[in-house]
Amino acid sequence: MTQNQSPPSNIKKWRVSRRGFLIGLGATVAAVAVGVPIGLPRARLAIADFIATGGSFGGVNAPPTSWFEITADNRIRFFNPKVEMGQGVHTSLTQIAAEELEVDWEQIEVVQAGTAQGLNDSMGTGNSNSVSSTFTPIREAAATLRELLRSEAARQLGVPAASLSMAAGIVTANTDPSKSLSYGEIVANADVASWEIPEEAPALKPASEFRYVGKATPRVDFKSKLTGEAKYGYDMRLPNMLYGAVARPRTIEGKLTSAAAGEAPNRPGVVTVVAEADFAGVAAESRLQAYAGVGNMDLEWEDGRPWQQSEIDEIVTVGNGTRVVAQKEGDVADLLDGDVLTAEFRTPLAAHAHLEPQAALVDVQADKVTAWVSTQAAYVVRGELASVLDMDEEQVEVIPTYLGGGFGRKLNVESAREAAILSKAAGRPVHVGWNRTEDMRHGFFRPSTHHVMKGMVDGNGRIQALQHEIASGDVLFSFFPGIASAIVGADFGAYRGARLEYDGIPNRQMVSYRTPLPVPTGPWRGLGLLASTFATESFMDDLAHSAGIDPLQFRLNHLTDSALSQRFRTALETVAEMANWGGSLPEGHALGLAINIDAKTIVAQVADVSVENDQIRVHNVYCAMDPGFVINPDGATAQAQGAIVMGLSSTFFEEITVKDGVIEAANFDRYPLLTIKETPNIQVNLLQSGEEPFGIGEPPIGPIAAAVGNGIFALTGQRLTRLPLRLG
Amino acid sequence: MKLHINGTDYDISEDPPRPLLWVLRDELGLTGTKFGCGVGICGACTVHIDGKAVRSCVTPLTQVEGEVRTIEGLSTVAANGTIELHPVQQAFLEDQVPQCSWCMSGQMMTAAAFLAQNPAPNEDEIVEAMGNNYCRCGCYHRIKGAVAKAAVQLVSLEETAV
Repeated sequence: MTQNQSPPSNIKKWRVSRRGFLIGLGATVAAVAVGVPIGLPRARLAIADFIATGGSFGGVNAPPTSWFEITADNRIRFFNPKVEMGQGVHTSLTQIAAEELEVDWEQIEVVQAGTAQGLNDSMGTGNSNSVSSTFTPIREAAATLRELLRSEAARQLGVPAASLSMAAGIVTANTDPSKSLSYGEIVANADVASWEIPEEAPALKPASEFRYVGKATPRVDFKSKLTGEAKYGYDMRLPNMLYGAVARPRTIEGKLTSAAAGEAPNRPGVVTVVAEADFAGVAAESRLQAYAGVGNMDLEWEDGRPWQQSEIDEIVTVGNGTRVVAQKEGDVADLLDGDVLTAEFRTPLAAHAHLEPQAALVDVQADKVTAWVSTQAAYVVRGELASVLDMDEEQVEVIPTYLGGGFGRKLNVESAREAAILSKAAGRPVHVGWNRTEDMRHGFFRPSTHHVMKGMVDGNGRIQALQHEIASGDVLFSFFPGIASAIVGADFGAYRGARLEYDGIPNRQMVSYRTPLPVPTGPWRGLGLLASTFATESFMDDLAHSAGIDPLQFRLNHLTDSALSQRFRTALETVAEMANWGGSLPEGHALGLAINIDAKTIVAQVADVSVENDQIRVHNVYCAMDPGFVINPDGATAQAQGAIVMGLSSTFFEEITVKDGVIEAANFDRYPLLTIKETPNIQVNLLQSGEEPFGIGEPPIGPIAAAVGNGIFALTGQRLTRLPLRLG
Repeated sequence: MKLHINGTDYDISEDPPRPLLWVLRDELGLTGTKFGCGVGICGACTVHIDGKAVRSCVTPLTQVEGEVRTIEGLSTVAANGTIELHPVQQAFLEDQVPQCSWCMSGQMMTAAAFLAQNPAPNEDEIVEAMGNNYCRCGCYHRIKGAVAKAAVQLVSLEETAV
């Protein structure tokens, strides 16, 4: 090695904008990390493992001053790249930021980062990874900024950096408390352009010293939401704005074949009519006028094939489509050949039904576009707008608003594209907010699934071989078909939650069949998790029953001393204790148990059910959740409570069907949601393990349908194999 | 025609015919009242007319007679200018009820009108009263507790007033 060689340098320079904002340079993008297609089957298994263990395809990597702004009056603005859609991420990430920065809670204010902040959150908010993917980056960014402030304070005060204490946004000399500077004062008098970021992030606090992280913290967004002040995408307004409406096909395969303005320009309030080969829309002074305008355009459509629901069910059948072995432990082949237990399960198409429909306000100007969008994926929207408007991405600024629910549907927001087209044509800002029928019929859906389970239990009540075959419409392939279909082969979103995780079962296999549908399908909270857990955990009870062993004991019997099994065991034993498993119950009640792992988080649930007037009733749900380290326990509890309710809604009600090529439900009359009347008492116990946070938003939706089905099985002996559950 | 909303008078054109919801949101900028379904099922658009909870998405403008109250007018402003939350808002805040909160204006307006009629409800009555308001995030468990809490608070306020 050559001596005296300079170390490799990746020191970044900094600048201060005229507004006094600190804007970092050189933010890097966390790239999609998928290998090359060598040794395809093995690569597919590796990717499957990567997904199963909570690997992230998105992430945030930005220098410290992109995250923060310090004002002269010593207030900290924390630019949060993750959108607030109800999951509490504006609060939890601010807790993380305040921790290492050594500021008081009242000093720090969270600001939704848009694309202008350069935080490059390329994949958006979802996948239950907002906390897990930013926990360390935010702490490192905050600690780095804190140390830069310390160094600068040392220079300004003329004392050694090591002799300075930092607390509540103030730097004080240990030897002389009269020597102190607020962060605001330090920045105001600093030549920030000359600051150099150290190559190594400072050492981070141990969890034992946390003041904010890990403490139940009230949500920062609630006061404005509960007084009606908070602005969502549907609420965004600008002077001189118009409202837009867009023509949509009647059928799922419907296509516009010709469009002309017709009478629309003569309708009251109509300002602009756009009639193109593949787009017909109107911008008008009011929303109702815009819709009336569209109704008066001359449009011709081709309906496509009149698809029926039975044909869709037929497509989604194990054996059809591309077959990929996505999990293989041991070898099930010989063991499952003979007379083994088999069961099939089906789940339907489902809508997201976020109560705030798609919405965006877009202002297209000659050289700049500003878009306020109810979106989970600001960067995806930016790319889409740049493309449709034929502009550079740098000319497009996308600012996510509060979201009135997302659940995956707002990862791809058409309303922004539509508002952009209409705004460009009108030369004025345009708001497009879908109505419920548009949202119900023209979205993408959770795909329907079909599951075939096979299991072989030996004479000692031990499962020797277990197989889960799943056929599903696409989930993530809808978004990046190129990469995925070439390399992965199977849609890992579709089989999320489908793996067989009991380490005590020596031979396990999960096989995915990709069965794309004519109905658009995509991510829905938990992706394949709810459907797959319904199948695998219902079947565990079938196997337990065949062996004559209590379902709890049977599950415990198939755990080992692996780290995963130990977490499973703790969750199972905890939830059993919460539910008084094996104890006495009110007459006519029974308990059902289910467990799964998702985004590294283990969730075990017990449902206490009865049947009254031929209707299933759920009285209590007990939930033991091990999400690793928890940032905001009250927020985590709320996510579990809410996911259980949403999961119960799917368990009992939700089903999208197609008739003659048309989505039958147009509103909640045909797609009712669970209400407070059917909501059980819910108890949540957070089992914290380790110092790394895992996912919370999606995992607790997994087990609930199976837990209820297992309760009904225990009560009646009837195995329900389809969602929504209906007694035969 | 004249509309009386949260103590303020507005002159509104009767034409064209349109639901109260869009007048509130798009014409008057009172966007705290939310749109969810447009057919009166989900309850996100609930406001008060003379204290009674109504679905503004299916209430024709011309049928509005009386004082309209929206979420923006549920809290009161004290003499010193500070905002005093309605006991329902206070309970929803204390119990950290919402998640996305899009439905919460409607939930709270429904609860406030209900408690004004029935200040000491039992659990079944609360469930019945709140049974036609959707919450997609699934906050029902906390809604039930917060409405009961607000009821206790309202009764104690009235006792103080007496």
